[in-house]
Amino acid sequence: MPTITIDGKSIEVEKGTTLLAAAQKLGIYIPRYCYHPKLSISGNCRMCLVEVEKAPKLLTACSTEAAEGMVVRTTSDKVKAARRDVLEYLLINHPLDCPICDQAGECGLQDYYMDYSLARSRFSMADKVRREKRRPIGPNLVLDNERCILCTRCVRFCSEVTKTSELEVMNRGDHSYIDLKEGKALDNGYSLNIADICPVGAFTSRDFRFKQRVWFLKRTKTVCLGCATGCLVEAHHNENVIYRLVPDPNPETNTWLCDHGRLTYKALQAGDRLKKGVIKNGLIELEPALREAATRIDEARGAVAVMGSPWLSIEDNAALARLARDSVKTGDYCFDFNFEQGIKDGILINKDQAPNTAGVRPVKAAYGGISMGELAGRIASGKIKLLLTEARAAALLKDALKDSGTRVVVFAANRGEIPAGAYATLPYAAYFETPGTFINYQGLRRRTTPPVAAPEGVKPLWDVVNKLASYSGASLGLDSGDDALKGISF
Amino acid sequence: MENILLKDDVAGLEAYFACGGYKPLKKALGLTPAEVIDEVKKSNLRGRGGAGFPAGLKWSFIPKDAQGPRYLVCNADEGEPGTFKDRELMRKNPHALIEGMAIAGYAIGAAHGYIYIRGEFAEEAELLEHAVAAARAKGFIGRNILGSGFDFELFIHRGAGAYICGEETALLESLEGYKGQPRLKPPFPAIKGLFGSPTVMNNVETLAAVPAIIDKGGDWYASIGTGKSAGTKLFCVSGPVNKPGVYELPLGTPLRDLLEKNCGGLKPGKKLKAVIPGGSSTPVLTAGEALAVKLDYESLAAAGSMLGSGAVIVIDESQCMVGLLRVLARFYHHESCGQCTPCREGCGWIEKILNRFEEGRAEMKDIDMLSSVADGMMGRTICPLADAMAMPVLSFVKKFRAEFEAHARGETCARRAGPKA
Repeated sequence: MPTITIDGKSIEVEKGTTLLAAAQKLGIYIPRYCYHPKLSISGNCRMCLVEVEKAPKLLTACSTEAAEGMVVRTTSDKVKAARRDVLEYLLINHPLDCPICDQAGECGLQDYYMDYSLARSRFSMADKVRREKRRPIGPNLVLDNERCILCTRCVRFCSEVTKTSELEVMNRGDHSYIDLKEGKALDNGYSLNIADICPVGAFTSRDFRFKQRVWFLKRTKTVCLGCATGCLVEAHHNENVIYRLVPDPNPETNTWLCDHGRLTYKALQAGDRLKKGVIKNGLIELEPALREAATRIDEARGAVAVMGSPWLSIEDNAALARLARDSVKTGDYCFDFNFEQGIKDGILINKDQAPNTAGVRPVKAAYGGISMGELAGRIASGKIKLLLTEARAAALLKDALKDSGTRVVVFAANRGEIPAGAYATLPYAAYFETPGTFINYQGLRRRTTPPVAAPEGVKPLWDVVNKLASYSGASLGLDSGDDALKGISF
Repeated sequence: MENILLKDDVAGLEAYFACGGYKPLKKALGLTPAEVIDEVKKSNLRGRGGAGFPAGLKWSFIPKDAQGPRYLVCNADEGEPGTFKDRELMRKNPHALIEGMAIAGYAIGAAHGYIYIRGEFAEEAELLEHAVAAARAKGFIGRNILGSGFDFELFIHRGAGAYICGEETALLESLEGYKGQPRLKPPFPAIKGLFGSPTVMNNVETLAAVPAIIDKGGDWYASIGTGKSAGTKLFCVSGPVNKPGVYELPLGTPLRDLLEKNCGGLKPGKKLKAVIPGGSSTPVLTAGEALAVKLDYESLAAAGSMLGSGAVIVIDESQCMVGLLRVLARFYHHESCGQCTPCREGCGWIEKILNRFEEGRAEMKDIDMLSSVADGMMGRTICPLADAMAMPVLSFVKKFRAEFEAHARGETCARRAGPKA
């Protein structure tokens, strides 16, 4: 365990620790472009050069391992000069199109220039190397090679994380540029991470481009509910609109975020987002829709079934269970989901596409109920006149429901989720609009924090359930999501 | 003295035999590998590719307990502008290289050797292929060499034209089939080289000197030259001398002797202005410095330059230093691999500034800018290509500043004045 000194502070580190990592432990920040904690060391940008006593040259902090007695300086004049020089080199051929660049405000060039340089340009504009600009590269990204600083994070990401190796540095010297390898397309399911790790504006997200200046964005840490992996994310939003999701790296679950999960927020802004109820195919106001649904439930009393959903939070599932047991007073309710779980691509995407299969289990443990097979059997044999459930869960019973004559009343956030033939649909506040508790495939409990508010009048599902119950005359007395969790242990 | 490396009429195997060829290999196989390394250490043989690292010491860096294969690689990617000694050596004495490699392979425990030869040397590559085949036919290469139980296979690999692949680790990348870009060090090739295995890489001239060292002993070789700079060195002289070409001389020979005795002096009417003593990347010497210096590692270092590859580029008064530097800048700009920021951007920047000088658009402040751009590149990159650009820039500007100033003032330089007058 070597002990080293960085800027006068001593630290003992594990053998093999780099100077950059050791400095980080001491709270000393060393600027870097090519270094990324989850990618191999490349050492090409030369931004992290530090002075090590007795070493004839400056050394890259990202690649130099701590050795006993090393005395390191990260702010000496030599180091400062090297940083200034590297920044100058990086900027001479940079197009300086910050006013129209999405990276502006979170750009490594801008930030480090302010921190470490502030020098005037000595380079003639006419001499700049020109490269290809704004080229769509794959479904999710735009590549601007003129802004690229050739740190190769993108190349290493594709070869080391997704192992798809689409990108390569072509050509040589200052005419180098990033390009797709022959016959490759940049569509590996994780491509938007490249926009995140690109320290400059070379790779930008096609989804996010020109939508919002980053300094207007507010950040809310929440959970991605695109599958059972339950990655931690940060939602970036402004004025009640989400503009992007980025990973919130954590040791338990995720460094990255898949493209599918990253774009789940778009459902909120989709044209089919439900703000009103649907009866058959017609939109009607929330209140009449709710009354209609309650009436049909009353009508079918004695032959009503309720099914939970692995797409809903524990709170919402618990409210449905309460509704079935205490208000509708039926034994035909089902909280029985057993999807196979596990990472299917070796990175993040789960075999289980539903976010809360594990979270429905404690609801089942508390309330019991019948199995999915039994419910399907009862529906198929015509014993169930009305089924109340969540839209995507209803699809699980598609075969049983066919020709059964069962009226289906569903909760849905988007019209596209509604199964064919549903009688009534009630909208509810979606993932990003209301807090909820979920349990991911690792058994980790995660609570979402809503970055935005639901459309006017649209309530959390437990609240809608509570109203449905009160229309039937047997109030559940739910004043909050937490009320619904009473009696459930997880 | 008699040449050790450059000999006439030994290219064929029979002729090589006739002058004692492959006897040293037999002798080496009778020694232990450690004894062979000791002999080379004793000889003080230093790397002839440019860096001058002691060869025996390099061989001893291979970890004794290393499992798995070890490799010997010969760097025949002779690309430094002004350098053409290895080509001459491979043409005239290919078996010295092959025999040297077999001995080195035995010393470090390598069963495979590669000769990475510059892509443009198509003829030499073919010649080597024939020579290796002839050596193999006689049992000097291949399995159970001379009944010793030692196996050594030798492959010729042609480069694809990048100067950077002459850099040790870029060469390894290229040899493995990747883009030729230098690797971060450490780990050094002796620990993790070709295909991740311990590897020794030597220059053609270094390896070709090994048979003679084994034959006549390390002490004999060490007695040639100046002591610290032992043995003979090939010098390739280009420029306006009467007899340009490759000369083998003991290290420590005065540069003046090389120019006047071997090369027959400068051509009529030419006056010496400067000499680049060790290949285009080494700092330039003024005529006065050049005529006072001896050709060995220490003397040239003391004179502020380097022995480098031994490529002596002679510059006479009619040549424009600004124009010459621009040619070099164009070369290094073209050949920078583009990995490290300072080299990738700096080489191009320097060329662009020099273009302004050549086109009469430069200002006085551009002179200092040249030096400061070069300063920012020195010692701050993965490999020495940035230094190879910076060193000539710094030395040209320092020693021939007046010419740069004249350009900045818009005055014509000597070269331009020449034809017009």
